Amino acid sequence: MNQAVATAVIAGSLVLAVASLIGAVRNRAMGMVLLIGFCVLEVALIVQTVLVVVAHVGGEGPADAVTLYGYLIGSLLVPPAGVLLALAERSRWGTAVLILAGFAVAVMTGRLLQVWQGVT
Amino acid sequence: MRMDASRTEPGTGGGHPDGIGGGPGRMLVACYALFALAAGARAGVQIATRFEQAPLAYLLSALAAAVYLLLAVALIRGARRTALWALGFELAGVLVVGTASLLAPGAFPDETVWSDYGRGYVFIPLFLPLVGLYWLRRGRR
Repeated sequence: MNQAVATAVIAGSLVLAVASLIGAVRNRAMGMVLLIGFCVLEVALIVQTVLVVVAHVGGEGPADAVTLYGYLIGSLLVPPAGVLLALAERSRWGTAVLILAGFAVAVMTGRLLQVWQGVT
Repeated sequence: MRMDASRTEPGTGGGHPDGIGGGPGRMLVACYALFALAAGARAGVQIATRFEQAPLAYLLSALAAAVYLLLAVALIRGARRTALWALGFELAGVLVVGTASLLAPGAFPDETVWSDYGRGYVFIPLFLPLVGLYWLRRGRR
């Protein structure tokens, strides 16, 4: 599994979470910066998923494939769900949802790394 | 360029007559949906790969996940009674299973979302129902 991509995903999602926190504190609805940020995050997650699946099919990684794919699919769902909620809620609370989404992606990617290294 | 407010989906949240899923409620919807995903995916993996090890624990996790999902949908749709029942169920679950897992650890060979009052999930399963009940009561007026 590509450590550099995972690290970038974790760092990026944490930056987005902090940016969302700032937006929520400043009483802002989700703007273009956060929207584009989460779209870029989703693209990064798709790239990471492709890399992980290719490496796993190639025989690398853990025997426990179910948990691995669970985290991959789960993390792919989070940014679109967060953005949809933030689009439906045009207030600081929509932005607050994105704090949770960014943080969740960071945690799930961290767990993905652990699962890949055989930690259960 | 700012997002246009007209992008807001009609019929959800803010404009709802019983707007329990709008404003701060939207944050609760996100929390419950995330927990439905976390608990549900984990229970699904456990049931699919090692159900015989701790059937009770895994089924309870799956049940908790299903009720979290019900709760998220009930908040979005403004179904206050359903949301109240689901919140009560989650609170009862975390209290009963939390106590049971401390008194009779043998009955739960593997963790559920509710074990030890949700310690495996930094006690969030204990606080989420309380926050939800507070929000629904506050929104009543």
